[in-house]
Amino acid sequence: MRNQMRAPDLLERVATQTDAAEIYELHSVELPVRFRAGALESVKVVETAGRALRIIKDGRLGFSTTTDLGDDTNLLQNALESARSGDPAPFQFPAKQPAPPVQCFDPQVEHLDEQRLIALGEEIVEKIRAYDATVQIDAWAVKELEEVTLCNTSGLELVSRRTVVSVGASVTRAQEGDILIIYDQDTSRRVDKIDGAAVAQRIIDRLRLAEKVVPAPTKAMPVIFYRGGVLVLLMPFMMGLDGRNVFLGVSPLREKLHQKVFDERFSLIDDGTLDFAPRSTPYDDEGTPTARKSLIENGVVKGFLYDLKSAALAKAQPTGNGFKSGFMGGGFRRPPGIAFTSGVISPGEKSLDQILKDLDEALFVENVMQLGGGNPLAGEFSNPISLGFLVRKGEIVGRVKNTMIAGNVYDLLKDKLIALSDRPEWVFGFVHAPAIAVDGVSVASK
Amino acid sequence: MRDQILRALERSRADYTEIRVEREWRTEVIYRKDNLENLEASSELGGIVRCLVGGGWGIAVFNSLDDLERRVEDAYRIAKAVSTKVSEKATLAPAQAVQDEVRVTVKKDPRSVSLRQKQELLQKYNELMLKQSDKIVSTSARYTDSFKEVTYANSEGTFIVEERPDVTLLLSATAREGEKNIQMGAESHGWLAGFEAVENQEEKALKAAQRALDLLKAKPVTAGVYTAILDPDLAGVFIHEAFGHLCEADFLFKNPRLQEILKIGRQFGVKELNVVDDGYLPGLRGNFKYDDEGTLRQKVYLIKNGVLNSFLHSRQTAAKMGAQSTGNARAVNYQFEPIVRMRNTYIEAGSATFAQMLKDIDYGIYACGAFGGQTMIEQFTFEAMYAYEIVRGQVGELLRDVVLTGNVFETLKNIEMIGNDLVIKGSAGGCGKDGQFPLPITTGGPHIRVRNLTIGGKAA
Repeated sequence: MRNQMRAPDLLERVATQTDAAEIYELHSVELPVRFRAGALESVKVVETAGRALRIIKDGRLGFSTTTDLGDDTNLLQNALESARSGDPAPFQFPAKQPAPPVQCFDPQVEHLDEQRLIALGEEIVEKIRAYDATVQIDAWAVKELEEVTLCNTSGLELVSRRTVVSVGASVTRAQEGDILIIYDQDTSRRVDKIDGAAVAQRIIDRLRLAEKVVPAPTKAMPVIFYRGGVLVLLMPFMMGLDGRNVFLGVSPLREKLHQKVFDERFSLIDDGTLDFAPRSTPYDDEGTPTARKSLIENGVVKGFLYDLKSAALAKAQPTGNGFKSGFMGGGFRRPPGIAFTSGVISPGEKSLDQILKDLDEALFVENVMQLGGGNPLAGEFSNPISLGFLVRKGEIVGRVKNTMIAGNVYDLLKDKLIALSDRPEWVFGFVHAPAIAVDGVSVASK
Repeated sequence: MRDQILRALERSRADYTEIRVEREWRTEVIYRKDNLENLEASSELGGIVRCLVGGGWGIAVFNSLDDLERRVEDAYRIAKAVSTKVSEKATLAPAQAVQDEVRVTVKKDPRSVSLRQKQELLQKYNELMLKQSDKIVSTSARYTDSFKEVTYANSEGTFIVEERPDVTLLLSATAREGEKNIQMGAESHGWLAGFEAVENQEEKALKAAQRALDLLKAKPVTAGVYTAILDPDLAGVFIHEAFGHLCEADFLFKNPRLQEILKIGRQFGVKELNVVDDGYLPGLRGNFKYDDEGTLRQKVYLIKNGVLNSFLHSRQTAAKMGAQSTGNARAVNYQFEPIVRMRNTYIEAGSATFAQMLKDIDYGIYACGAFGGQTMIEQFTFEAMYAYEIVRGQVGELLRDVVLTGNVFETLKNIEMIGNDLVIKGSAGGCGKDGQFPLPITTGGPHIRVRNLTIGGKAA
C-alpha cells in the first residue's frame, strides 16, 4: 500500500509552494440495491475517495482533483500549472466561523445493511404489486455515508460526517396505444423519516387517476403546479437568484433588489439549516456557514445567493451557497459554484381540494419533460407534460397526453397567481413547496 | 496491474466475474464572460468488479487498487445474498474470449498540450463572441478533454486494454435587449480526436454570437400542430430520443407486455425509413472498439424499410431475449456497471432535396440545431436552437422557443420525406440514462419532413 498523506499534512506541504491553499477531501460509502420488474436484481457497494486542491499562487487560482490519494506530486503539479494561467483570485479562503447547529448525521444509517435496504425496497414493490400485478415495478433503496474534510491555509479545519437514505420506484404500465411511466421517491438524511409506504401510495393514487385519458384544450388556462411540477416555476429562480448571473448582468432580477415584483403571497427561502434535509449542512463546500436566507419575501426581492468568488466580484457577502455540485448531490470533482440548499416556498391558506373546487377548467401538472426547456434565464418555460390531469368543475376528470405548457414564470407569479395550497410537501428532497395555481398558462394539445 | 487483475479473477468464487479499471487524464477550461471559471488538470483512477452468483449481481466500486481480491470477495458476498432473493436468474449470452490492446493515435494528444495553450485558445473564442456586439451580455466557452485507458478482464478469458480519447467544445453567447428579451446562441461539438479538433474554430464562435443577436429579433413560435422540416442536427436528436432509447433492450427484457407492443417486424415508419446504430464510424464520439463487456462494436439496423429490425443488447438482455449482444453495454465510467446504450445513431439518407421538401408546405416550421431532448418511451421531446417559418414553400422569418413533442407510434409514420444530405455529429454534452451522464454518443440524419408535430409556446 502506498503512503497516503492526511489532508492537513498535505496542506502543510502545499502551503510552502503557494500563497494560499484549500483541500476538500471526500470519503464515501454508498450501498444501492436495485429491483427490476418487481424482483431484486443487484446490490452494489461503492467505496470511493477523492481530493480536490484549490490554490492561490501569485494571486491566481489553480484547481486540480484526483482519486489517487497516494499521488500528491501530480495533484500539486497540476494545480500549480493551472494557477500559472488561472484567473486572479478576488477572495481569500475563510477562517473558521461559527455555524448554526444542523443535524446531518444519523448513526442508524451507518448500521443499515443490504438486508434492511432490500426490505425497504420490497415494501414499496409489494404494496404497488398488490394494487396492480401487471405493471413493471423498478425500485431502489440506497444509503450513503460521507466524510468530508475541508481545510485551508487560513486555519480552517472541518471534518463532517453526513448520511443520506433514499428510496424510490418507477412504474411502467404498458398497453397498446398507451405506455405510462410514474416515478416517485423519498430522500432524507435520517432513515426514520423515510416513508416507503407513502411513496408506493402516491404511485398507486396516480395509477388510479391516470386510468382514463381525456383530451386537453389548446388555449391559455389555469394550471396547478404540484410536486415535480413546481420545479417548472422554481427553475428560473434558481438561475435568476444566482449571484453570478446577477453580477454578470444576465439575471432579469439583477436590478430588482428590495422591489416588489411578484404577488405578495409569494415568498421563497433558501435554507441550509433544516435538520436532516438532504442538502442541509452547517458549512458549504468552501467553509462558509450556511443559513436561512429570505430571497423573495411577500413578492419583494430580498437577496441573491453567492459563493466566495461571486461574492468578492459582486462586492457582496458569501451566503454559504458555494457547493461543488448542483442540486443533485455532493462531489469533489467540480470547483465550487453557486447552488440552492433547500428551496422553501411559503404555503397559502386554501387546501388543495378547495383550490381545485374553485376552478372551472384547469390542468393539474405533476411532472414535465425537458425541465429547463425554453429560456429559463428569461423566465420562460416550454415543457411537454409527462404526468398531468384535466380538472373540470373542480374535479380531476382524467389524464392528458401529448400536451405542452408554456409561459413566463416571472409574469405568472406577478399578476396571475390564483392560490398557494396550505400544505407544503418535499419534492425530490431539495424543494419544500405547496401546490401553486396560476392563470394564463399556454396549453397546446393534439 | 495485469497480474493483479488476473490473480483476483482466478481466486473469485463467483459464476462469472469481471473487473474494469480506468485511468483518466482530463482537463477543462471554462470562461464565463470575462471570468476564467475553471482551469483544471485532473486525474482519476478507479475500478469496478461485477460478480454473478446464482443469477444475482453483486457489484463493488473502489478507487484504491491495493486490495483487488477483497473487492472481488465483497462483490461475491453481496451477489450471493442477492441470489437468495432473485425470482429469475440473470444469465449471459455466450461471448468469445478476446485478448486485445487498442492504442489510439490522435494528432495532438491533449495530455501533451499545455493548459496555457488550451486556456489561450478558449480565451480567443470567448473574446470573439464578446466583441460581436454590446448586446452580447454574457458568454460561456467550455473546453474539455479526457483520455482514458480502460482495462477490462473477465473470468471467461477476455483481457482488453483500450484507450478512449474524447474532446468537446461548447461556445454559447447570451444577448439581451431591454429588460426581458434575453436570447442564447450556442455551438456544441464533440469528437473522438485530439486537441487539433478544437483548433481553428473561430467561425463557430462567430456563429454562436450572431445567432444570439438574431434571436433578439425573432418571433416566439405560436403553439400548435405543424408540418415541420428538421435539419440534420435536430433529425439526429429526434431519432435518438424518439426511437433509439426504445430499442435499448434493458427497459423491456423483463416486460412481456412491452415486448408484445414492440415486436420485431412491427411497422414503425414509412418504407424509406432506415435507422442505424453504428459503432464503426472513426473519429465520432463513442466509437470505441469494445463495449464494457468486451464485446466488439457492430452496425445494427434498428429500423429497416420502416420495420423494427433489432434491439440493442448487452449480454444479459441478449440471453433473455434469445439474441446476441450487439456491443452496446456501456458504462459512463468506473463507478457504474454497463447498461444498454447507443453509440452513433442516425437515419440513413433518402432521396429528397431540401427544395422538394419545402415545395408544397403552405405554413410550417423549419427547426434547426438541437438543445437536447428526452423520452418517456412513447412520448418524446426535443428542443430546437432556432427555427424559421415556412410560408408558401419559402423559408421565412426567424422563430424562437421551439420545443417539439410527439408520440413515437404516430410520429415515425408521419415522416413524409427523407433528405439526401446525411450529417452525423457529436455534441459537447452526451446521453443520460439511469444516472449515467454524459456518455459520449453521436446522432445524425438528413433533413426530414414530419407532419402533425406538436410545438409548445404562446397560445394563438
